[in-house]
Amino acid sequence: MTRRLAPLLLLASSVHADPIAITGAEVWTNTADAPVRNATVVISGGRIVSIQPALSPPPSARVIDAAGRVVTPPLDAAATQIGLVEVASASDTDDRAVHSGPLGAAFDVSLGVDANHLTVEQARVAGVARALVFPDPAGNGVFAGWAARLNLAERTDIVERARVALFVTAGGAGAHVAGGSRAAIWGQVHNALSEARSARASSPFKPRDQLLNHADLEAITPVLEKRVPLAVVAQREADIRQAVAAGKDFGISVVIVGGAEAWRAATLLVSRHVPVILDPLDDLPVSYDSVGARRDNARILADAGVTIGFMVSGQGIYLNYNVGQALREGAGIAVANGLPYGQALRAITQNAARIWGDAAPAGTLAPGAAADLVVWDGDPLEPTTAPVAIFLNGTEISLRSRQTLLRDRYRPASEEGRSAPAGR
Amino acid sequence: MNLVQRAVALLAVVASVCLTYAPAAAPVAVSPRQPALEAPPSSYRPLPRVDTLVTGATILDGVGGRIEHGDVLMHDGRIIAVGHALPREGAVVVDASGRWVTPGIIDVHTHYGTYLLPQSAAEASVSDVLEESDPNVADTWIEHAVRPEDPAFSRALTSGVTTLQILPGSSALFGGRTVIIKPIPAVTVDQMRFPGARQGLKMACGTNPASSFGSRGRFPNSRQGEIAGVRGAFLEAERYRKEWDAYRAGRRADAPKRDLKLDTLSAALRGELPVHLHCYRADDIANWISTLEEFGVHLTAVHHAVEAYKIAPLLAQKHVCAAVWPDWWGFKREAEDGIPENAAFIEAAGGCVVMHSDIPLLGSLLNIEAAKAAAAGRRAGLAIPEERAIRWITSNAAKVLGLESQIGHLAPGMNADLVVWSGNPFSIYSKADLVFIDGAVAYDRHGPSSQRPSDFELGRPQKEAVR
Repeated sequence: MTRRLAPLLLLASSVHADPIAITGAEVWTNTADAPVRNATVVISGGRIVSIQPALSPPPSARVIDAAGRVVTPPLDAAATQIGLVEVASASDTDDRAVHSGPLGAAFDVSLGVDANHLTVEQARVAGVARALVFPDPAGNGVFAGWAARLNLAERTDIVERARVALFVTAGGAGAHVAGGSRAAIWGQVHNALSEARSARASSPFKPRDQLLNHADLEAITPVLEKRVPLAVVAQREADIRQAVAAGKDFGISVVIVGGAEAWRAATLLVSRHVPVILDPLDDLPVSYDSVGARRDNARILADAGVTIGFMVSGQGIYLNYNVGQALREGAGIAVANGLPYGQALRAITQNAARIWGDAAPAGTLAPGAAADLVVWDGDPLEPTTAPVAIFLNGTEISLRSRQTLLRDRYRPASEEGRSAPAGR
Repeated sequence: MNLVQRAVALLAVVASVCLTYAPAAAPVAVSPRQPALEAPPSSYRPLPRVDTLVTGATILDGVGGRIEHGDVLMHDGRIIAVGHALPREGAVVVDASGRWVTPGIIDVHTHYGTYLLPQSAAEASVSDVLEESDPNVADTWIEHAVRPEDPAFSRALTSGVTTLQILPGSSALFGGRTVIIKPIPAVTVDQMRFPGARQGLKMACGTNPASSFGSRGRFPNSRQGEIAGVRGAFLEAERYRKEWDAYRAGRRADAPKRDLKLDTLSAALRGELPVHLHCYRADDIANWISTLEEFGVHLTAVHHAVEAYKIAPLLAQKHVCAAVWPDWWGFKREAEDGIPENAAFIEAAGGCVVMHSDIPLLGSLLNIEAAKAAAAGRRAGLAIPEERAIRWITSNAAKVLGLESQIGHLAPGMNADLVVWSGNPFSIYSKADLVFIDGAVAYDRHGPSSQRPSDFELGRPQKEAVR
């Protein structure tokens, strides 16, 4: 690959170098279960004009030879924490959770998102265009707070939509803030939904003896009105079933996040239209909540008809760092354990937008769609593969990052690398 | 998640480094009370085995060689031939056409059996990963805490791991002695112990010891304090060693008073315990190499070493191996400068690089970890073919453990530890089909025992099919 010159100019440019033709690629559009082979993708005006096999590029087009390469929609990380934490061990750089104070359900992580975080930059150059960022368990109540959708095509205003889903942490990980039992979590969730329902029914609202403050009460209302889902972080089958039951009892939408044992409730989940965002690398009993973890969880759920998205935790590391590569590795493992390739690809490029209710779901390559795509140097579900070109809104972005600058500074053949201090 | 993250802090946040092991030249003097330095006895017995010929495979021999359509012949637990058209008489034949064969994977850095799965709130306050009551717990042996029924052992085995080291955690300057085992089903750690394998000494630099003890108002609370602590301890160990040398040489009549911590440190001074150092930053690594050199101690390996690429020539010159992840970075300040090319740049400098796991998840993906690191290197313009990258989880790792004459290399006379992969081991789609340890099938993906649950997992309803 020829090195791109002046990436900063490209970054700053809002002018599309139109048209652009990507030729010879294997293109996964997410509109069919098989790729378009030897395809030419023509981009103009920030949109995809056409995707045709063996089409000669328009005479005026800038041609990108992608023979032997794969084109997909960009990655959409269904549950991450990029932009919320710089150095996980430095608490003043960590805005993932509220540990004390008055905010419970009303805690909104979007207000702490920083577009300049290296985790955001790294995700972008790894081919991630969209992401959900969610709060960690709170220290002061069962609700972790509100998650937000990010659009990394932007440079500063990356929060595309705040208050996308209200997160609650079920199971052993959240029990201590509820008083010491997972049952108390559900008791408090039921109560919160009941109080919000009462508040909505009585107008003007008549205060009574209640546990929620007004901020939390108002925060829960959109869930009750089914405008956004309640996202339940749960691994254990029993908690997953409680989440589904709460959804039914209160007529709200529920999304399971984690879902290590979700395969055991596949029939129930599909019947209640509850999607699951799972970690395809899970297969160890890392806690007593995930004794049933197994690598074909994704395959079993997908076979049953459950909508799945992927998150890859890597014991927390990959939720922030190496998000893009980890997602692809997870999807590859899911395929290795029986999930059809096209479904695995959708789970990391398309399904998050559906699960989180984006107004105009992205993740499809088709004429007329925004020209958001990644050209990979091989099979994107192999973690050894990397992007060679990324287009967001029809503009090719620079692949430079702080990591590539460090690489170039210490590259063995480089002058800088040679003169690098060798200790003593 | 909080629990698990806290637990991770115990592991990775406290790193360990290992040094290359130089066999002791001095004969062992006969003395009933001298510090015990020999490897503890093993009650390991190989699993039932038959002579086996694996045929038609793409063979990566573990030291840089590659053979297409090659055979490997195992006899009585050893490899006796690697090549083409080997004799079949008397051997069970495994047709590995279209498949790949590598040496068994060696993981130099785990906490299996002590970072016991499942982790729970019970482990948040009391953990066997490390004795944390003192910055010098050189008198502790991690094997005294290892529970063989940790499900992590069987996951490692089914992922191709045939030898692994268990180290103490990284909050202490001197964390104690390591143990090297084979991940076979067992009830006691002695049944897993690699026969004849030396223990190692785990040490830790940087943030972990300083924050662990400093936050409790104790020593050390700084990097300079750590180095001072190490120097002071080795000075004491030198005195102790000289006392014992004098006693053994008959220059003093009474045996010196035995001290378990100084037993370990003096063994390191004698080169009888390979030193493994948890350390991230390039400046720290260089300082610790110098500090150890002051006492004539060679660092066998630096573990985690996310900045090793900045001092790759130094590591190569000093023969210090680096055990690294391919891509972990950022989770702590010491890891801010991690890059995916770390391993490849060490290799390019002529250094010894190894992939390590630290957490059970990665211990089941070491082939993929190596694949990612090699791919990053290729993208940076370095030639790292598969037959070289496999060294990072085989022969280089064997060198770190001082076992390079027995494992990590497919050649006549070596232990018959090998993996038959369903395809290229550096592909996400490949799986370990067969794992041989000492010539015995320890795991067969298509065999009846492939799903052998650990005692913990046995009979758990969550593991069984939904009715």
